[in-house]
Amino acid sequence: MLQALREMEGGIQLSLNVAARLPHLRRAPILESFLRQVYFTGVTAAAGVIPRACGLGVIIIAVMINMLDADVDLAVKILLLLVFREVGPLAAAIVVILRTGTAVSAEVAMMRVSGQTRALRYLGIDLYDYLVLPRVAGCMLATLALTFYVQFLAVLGGLVLSPFIIEASFWELTNRLFELFTPVDFFYSTVKSLLFGFAISACCCWHGLNPPDLTNNAVPKVVTKAVTQSMMLVLLINAVFAYVVFGILFFGLVKANV
Amino acid sequence: MTDLAVRYKRKTPRHEVEVSAPQGTVTHVHLPDDDAKAHLVTALLKARCEAGEELELFGEPAATAAPQRRESLRMRVGAVSPIVGLMSNLNAWENISLPAAYHGTPPLPDVVQLASDVLTKLGAEPDYFFARLPDELGLLERKMASFVRLLVVAPELMVFDALEDGLSHAECRHVARFEAEYRARQPNGTVLYVDTREDS
Repeated sequence: MLQALREMEGGIQLSLNVAARLPHLRRAPILESFLRQVYFTGVTAAAGVIPRACGLGVIIIAVMINMLDADVDLAVKILLLLVFREVGPLAAAIVVILRTGTAVSAEVAMMRVSGQTRALRYLGIDLYDYLVLPRVAGCMLATLALTFYVQFLAVLGGLVLSPFIIEASFWELTNRLFELFTPVDFFYSTVKSLLFGFAISACCCWHGLNPPDLTNNAVPKVVTKAVTQSMMLVLLINAVFAYVVFGILFFGLVKANV
Repeated sequence: MTDLAVRYKRKTPRHEVEVSAPQGTVTHVHLPDDDAKAHLVTALLKARCEAGEELELFGEPAATAAPQRRESLRMRVGAVSPIVGLMSNLNAWENISLPAAYHGTPPLPDVVQLASDVLTKLGAEPDYFFARLPDELGLLERKMASFVRLLVVAPELMVFDALEDGLSHAECRHVARFEAEYRARQPNGTVLYVDTREDS
């Protein structure tokens, strides 16, 4: 319990620190580190893992449409409600946790264990500036980009595949999709994916900087803990965010057009 | 009376360590063991002393220094030491230029000039040296990179921690030039060689 409270307090402090240091992103080594993070999280994932994840998503859509014996309306609702709003950001977040979360937590923990963070401090370099800020900002931006990418590919794949399963043309489905699509869907997934990126990177950086001890054995422990907690945070954010936006807070104001 | 750059005292049940280094001089300190050495170097780098220690840096007692004052004292001290290693994911050039790039001073073209000059004098080929990661560098080369990184920062107190440890006789001749290179750029700087006694 005490440990959980300590982790929550650390996470909040880290978040505030990152927010206060955003202007430091202009400094050359921090900007470089930020761009590296965006490249690693966004670009390299886009080329490999994401298309495969999208392919899997498209197959799931096809199975669901077939099982539910969907008509045009239901097929489009599945694409919009399930794929665009929920599966897209979640799939991107899972890829980011598995690829970037593990790498960030292991790298930062290794730097901490081997004394490199201490060396940075002795050189007058702030750890939040150099290690945390570029990773968090880069991860947020890359998660957002990956989310758009997943949404585009998965929805497009669904639209292309559906005419083979139900009696509807590609254009019929596309027109219906644009009729149902609202800006809320776009903002909802944008804000959610930014929150996912932030939660994953902040959690992994915090665990990397606070290993249970300073031996090499601490690194795998840090990675396990960071990945598990990141996954839990993402699921929690997903549930709370959906409830807040479409439930209590904006009830009656924000409505999905379905 | 000459001003002291460092005055350090540590008393333990096993031994008592006292170090004083006047400003602008070269001082050799032989400590009883690695623990005492690590305590001294860490205290200097942190500008902070633990229980049982006394530390004055440039005439200011570290124990009572305010955090901002301590930070500015820390920036006046540098150490070529295993405690202050290189970043393993950055190549030698990125390591050397990191403090300058972060703090925005000195300008990077000046850093290139300084680093190339010093490395050439120390017998390394700068372009080849810059491109390598710390894991691809030998022990001497890692010490050289740490030293050049410190020259960029230009500390007033340069600590050489067990500089010759792990080096061959030929390599020791290279590190012997560190002091002259530092002195050429920091004529009023203080040099503190820290090592453990050979009989300990």
